[in-house]
Amino acid sequence: MNDRLRRSLVRVGAMASKETLHVLRDPRTLALALVMPVLMLFLFGFGVSFDLDHVPVVVADADRSPASRELVRRITGSRELVSAGEADPAEADRLFRRGDAAAVLVVPAGYGAKVARRERIALQLLTDGSDVTVANQVLSKADALVRAETRRLVGVDLARVDPPLQVKLWTRYNPAGRSALFMVPGLAAYILAISAVLLTALTVAGEWERGSMEQLFASPVGRLEIVLGKLAPYLALGMLELLLVVAFGAAVFDVPVRGSFALFLLVGLFFLVGMLGQGLLISVITKNQLVATQAGTMSALLPSLLLSGMVFPIENMPAALQLLSRVVPARYLVHALRGILLKGNGLAALWPDLLALVLFAAAVLALATARFQRRLA
Amino acid sequence: MSELRRPSARVQLAAVFRKEVRQTVRDRRMMFLLVAAPLLQTVVFGYAVDFTVDGVPAVVVDRDGTDLSRLHARRLLADGTLRRVPAEGGLAGAESALDVGSAAAAVIVPPRFGADLVAGRSPEVQVVIDGTDPNRSTVAGAAASRYFGEVAEDLARARLAAAGRTPPAQLALAPRILYNPTLESPPYMIPGIAAMLLLVVTTIVTAMGLAREREMGTLEQVLVTPIRPVVLLFGKIAPYVVIGFADLMLLVAAGAWVFGVPLRGPLAVLVVGTLLYLLTTLGVGLLISTISRTQQQSFLAGILFLLPAVLLSGVMSPVRAMPAWLQAITWVNPVRHYAEVMRSCLLRGAGFADLAVPLAALALIGGAVFALAVARFRTRLA
Repeated sequence: MNDRLRRSLVRVGAMASKETLHVLRDPRTLALALVMPVLMLFLFGFGVSFDLDHVPVVVADADRSPASRELVRRITGSRELVSAGEADPAEADRLFRRGDAAAVLVVPAGYGAKVARRERIALQLLTDGSDVTVANQVLSKADALVRAETRRLVGVDLARVDPPLQVKLWTRYNPAGRSALFMVPGLAAYILAISAVLLTALTVAGEWERGSMEQLFASPVGRLEIVLGKLAPYLALGMLELLLVVAFGAAVFDVPVRGSFALFLLVGLFFLVGMLGQGLLISVITKNQLVATQAGTMSALLPSLLLSGMVFPIENMPAALQLLSRVVPARYLVHALRGILLKGNGLAALWPDLLALVLFAAAVLALATARFQRRLA
Repeated sequence: MSELRRPSARVQLAAVFRKEVRQTVRDRRMMFLLVAAPLLQTVVFGYAVDFTVDGVPAVVVDRDGTDLSRLHARRLLADGTLRRVPAEGGLAGAESALDVGSAAAAVIVPPRFGADLVAGRSPEVQVVIDGTDPNRSTVAGAAASRYFGEVAEDLARARLAAAGRTPPAQLALAPRILYNPTLESPPYMIPGIAAMLLLVVTTIVTAMGLAREREMGTLEQVLVTPIRPVVLLFGKIAPYVVIGFADLMLLVAAGAWVFGVPLRGPLAVLVVGTLLYLLTTLGVGLLISTISRTQQQSFLAGILFLLPAVLLSGVMSPVRAMPAWLQAITWVNPVRHYAEVMRSCLLRGAGFADLAVPLAALALIGGAVFALAVARFRTRLA
């Protein structure tokens, strides 16, 4: 029995070393697989940010009094909104179409007189709503600036009196609100999903296309041994990518590792096994590289991007999509990695994620091996 | 003599085009992936992508427990940005709720809050926020500080009035949002998604399709026939132009039907923009196929082009939020210009004059990439 197991392991090892040779002989693919994570992390870290400043706002000052100029100076003098010149409110449409301004601030005639008479004044803000992210930020920034101005007017009167109520905000885990800290754990899931599912799907589908799979079956290697041997090198490659992403994230973006490193490796390992199994399943079903890519894109790449909570919050999705996201393994990996890296969570908080990843890996591997065997009989 | 042997370019082109269309249409799975999949993705994307932050789970630790503290806690949660979740164990309970993630914010009302407020002793409310998601924490923090800021201002006014003085002028912002008044996510995302999906369909499929022909050696077989390489190339690409346009129409129609995305600008702008965009996406696919030997390589190269192109396009996050050096790089990104054309035309009703800059950029990039790709393709085959 022990002897049989040993011989079986030798065959798996032989398959794995053959597959490793394949990977190493194709340095372009290997380079792409290793360059991609670093490049993506770099771009995501610097490029994907939702925090705007210096948003161009055009001013339509119909009052032109010292008071209105002071208001405009306080609003556009901030780091957040900057003046992009003056224009008539009627020109707003043309300005927005050309992308020259994100909003037009209209100061009504008689502003200065109303301030002096201590009345209530409405400032109109024409906002380009076609970019929702920008519009939301412009609205909240302008709102805060106008409130600050009102408070300043009150404060002038209330000189040397404490504010009646104070509020203090503490932000935990990511006090500077840096997008990179948020993105890196999600990115790890995304990169692993792409490389694991698509590389396996392509390699195995390639063997079917070339007919070399039948040759393998003629050898004394068993089906399960083929599966394990084929997946082993990609598992190693995937783990290497995971480490690369976290190391690069720590070096360039100061992403912390606050929790247990062993738990991090364990979670990554089970996620990878599941993703490799999914790639295998796709290749067994499609047997064609072009179709396998598209199937992989649809079933792994897009769900890992969209339904994992990596960029878009799951809580906002309709109930049907939230339910669907429960079978997307990336969702559990993203949650677990954020917990481990940023919050320092341990197994006590993250066991449901780990369990879900183990279940997915077991189910998909069982399915892939079963289909693999039936195909060949 | 040679004219007798070689049919005219038009006949050659028609023959290759017919063969390619037949081959593509016959592959049911391929047709599904080229036409139905983008449609499906648009609908899923449209529902999945929602940047609105509301219902952030929050625990309230009321260490005062008076009517006044309860009133303010209730009013703070009234606008729906924060959603109260039950928590036990006071401060320690709030701490662990943040750690585990069952709450993303904790509002801590200090002891003697009500009494201090009435006596004018300036109590301090603390709000602890889980900053893992910067977008969510900004909105949640803004909601809390805004509410308490308003309360403080009202109190200050009341005190001024009580002292017999007229409170100063009060400014209010009256926003008027154009094009998308309720700031729905789908009208904003769908034009960008169309740009992204066209890229996936045309670039990756062309790159892999040609790499496959090279792997199988069928490209060389066709070259034995009297068909010129350039004609072969155009005939191979033409069906994808047709499919690209069909996809565009489907996506715009689905966007209008399912998500109410408007079509305010002239259709001609969309057609010209798409044509120029396809020139680039197909050109890149072609270029990739000339530098890679296998399908696997061309797929990876395709992804390597696609991801930065999509990320740095303003489709998902605004270009203006990027650092200046990265914003400069996005000028050579065709997806950025095409997304701009799509968004501006569909939502803002922009015409040719408004979009002269992005259209010219698309034409330049497309012309350069395509010319380079054709030149490389010819030398590879010759």
